[in-house]
Amino acid sequence: MRIPLVTALAAILTAAAAPIWAHHAFAAEFDAKKPVKLTGKVTKVEWINPHAWIHIAVKNADGSDQEWMIEAGTPNTLFRRGFTKDSLAIGTDIVVDGYQAKDGSFRANGRDITLPDGRKLFLGNNNAGEGAPEQK
Amino acid sequence: MRSKESGVSRLKSEARNILAPVFRLLTPLLLSPFFLSAQTYTPPRTPDGQPDLQGVWTNATITPLERPAEFAGKAFMTKEEAAAYERRVLANNDADRRDGGAEADVGRAYNNAWYDRGTKTVPTLRTSLIIDPPDGHIPPLTPQRQKQMDEIRRAAIGHSTDGPENRALTERCILWPTAGPPMLPSFYNNNYQIVQAPGYVMILVEMVHDARIIPLDNRPHLPASVHEWMGDSRGHWEGNTLVVETTNFSDKTRFRGADEHMRLVERFTRIGPDTINYEFTVDDPSAFTKPWTAQIPMTRTEGPIFEYACHEGNYAMADMLAGARAQEKAEAAQAPKAGN
Repeated sequence: MRIPLVTALAAILTAAAAPIWAHHAFAAEFDAKKPVKLTGKVTKVEWINPHAWIHIAVKNADGSDQEWMIEAGTPNTLFRRGFTKDSLAIGTDIVVDGYQAKDGSFRANGRDITLPDGRKLFLGNNNAGEGAPEQK
Repeated sequence: MRSKESGVSRLKSEARNILAPVFRLLTPLLLSPFFLSAQTYTPPRTPDGQPDLQGVWTNATITPLERPAEFAGKAFMTKEEAAAYERRVLANNDADRRDGGAEADVGRAYNNAWYDRGTKTVPTLRTSLIIDPPDGHIPPLTPQRQKQMDEIRRAAIGHSTDGPENRALTERCILWPTAGPPMLPSFYNNNYQIVQAPGYVMILVEMVHDARIIPLDNRPHLPASVHEWMGDSRGHWEGNTLVVETTNFSDKTRFRGADEHMRLVERFTRIGPDTINYEFTVDDPSAFTKPWTAQIPMTRTEGPIFEYACHEGNYAMADMLAGARAQEKAEAAQAPKAGN
């Protein structure tokens, strides 16, 4: 009997890797050799599965804006914690420490996201108990 | 010469010695609210007379499927051990880890705020969700299946980003390995909605929003040539327990090394207003040296079930493949030109 080898493997690998990698392997998507630190204003937040995406406008040296997309986790868990689309308001200045996409596009995963008042926003820091930032 | 009486008392004392560890093991179980309620609870009925399992339930727990090495030979934790285990697991889940360099950092992209893995051990204080075999471990794969799995692994090396079909079912928004059946706790979206109608039970799984519709009318399974992602489920009631038998699995899911021949029996028993005892037995003689059984409580939780809508936001699939193409291009540009 011929087994669809590769497909089966993918399923197995994911099962094994799941506790670390969530929906997919970040390592396949983002480049550990391209760390980025971005400062920008939130322009849009897509609260969609499998991963939410935060869009920010980062100022170039010539004053123009470059849009970056920052990948985050599943929205369902956040909804359940009371985190809504208003919790991260458009226009909020954030700082993102992360890694750029392997294909060189303006996408990154957010290792840390920091709000203007210094609070870390749910990534890479032990603030699970703090919940969503207050609405403005 | 010993008197008859002292012989009897010796026997009694030996019996006590032999049975003491058994009682030590059983006591936490027998005294747990989980077990006591199971003995006495009579679930309400649906209008058509089925025991009522309806509602939104979660199976989130930090008790692992297989027994951790630290509890080897021990089926149950004491209350103190459970409290310590919970503290340790939560601290570990919450840790802001920076070790392991950039590669590890990329994979570890987000923290416990995004997860919803539960914070408690199972109420029975069992050290593993697996209750049989008694060692709390999945039985070893048969040598043939182990060989087959190794071959699968070898054949996939270097092809993981050839195309979307090479990616995991999760990444393709097809099926989550814990969505089941069997249904296992994962790190978030551990929520299930059970709806009953005359002749049917439906289970909606939040993770990747799969709905399993289980007929209760004793109809035969699908022909053996038909394979489904979640298999083909048939249910019936044994007293207050819903028994669901699932066959006709796909060989693309390969639950823990099983294949399309897996036969899964699940048992749902409501043991209190807010708890369903969920048990499943996996049987696939071509994969496992013997069948194995796990027991997981499902606890009533607040709804609603949220839509997963995976494809709409699955930018990651394109990013992963585009990343692989960019890497190949960069490697080709660096490689010495043929003939030089």
